[in-house]
Amino acid sequence: MPEARVGKEAPDFKSAAYIRGKGFKEVKLSDYRGKWLVLCFYPGDFTFV
Amino acid sequence: MYPELKKLGVDVLSVSTDSKFSHKIWDETELEKMVEGGIPFPMLSDQGGQIGTLYGVYDEDSGTELRGRFIMDPDGVIQATEVLTPPVGRNTDELLRQVQAFQLVRESGWKEATPSGWTPGEPTLKPSPSMVGKVWEVWKP
Repeated sequence: MPEARVGKEAPDFKSAAYIRGKGFKEVKLSDYRGKWLVLCFYPGDFTFV
Repeated sequence: MYPELKKLGVDVLSVSTDSKFSHKIWDETELEKMVEGGIPFPMLSDQGGQIGTLYGVYDEDSGTELRGRFIMDPDGVIQATEVLTPPVGRNTDELLRQVQAFQLVRESGWKEATPSGWTPGEPTLKPSPSMVGKVWEVWKP
């Protein structure tokens, strides 16, 4: 069941990530506490975003 | 769009079900031809769709994610979301407008509100009992 809802705290997660110039890192949503954040999902690489 | 968001102090994360290796190759072979310097924010790999499922944007049939976009404030609260099916791309102007509106409202201690179609610089509303029936005096769409 999805947990994310507008007006509620965003469900935390961690994920493998590619960061240009830094390589492969693990990213946690909670690392962004204290900042505005835009989280964007998209269907797949090599398509338009 | 990213430089405008950065100016507003907004970080960006992108997520798809592709591997981190795929993200790297896409960035290095194609995206850097479209965006000077390549992609400046972390590209997350959600293989298996756990994060997408948590956010209600994972499509099990295709094993991919919908175009879901979430604005989160510094308290970690989701303030806005938009979800599109794959064929239609987003409008980043509307994203910027929403971020600016939420930033202003939060700065006001959640006391002000922005009416529909509000853009930065336009008057905001300060909802109160005395305003009931008088919105027309301050806001004429």
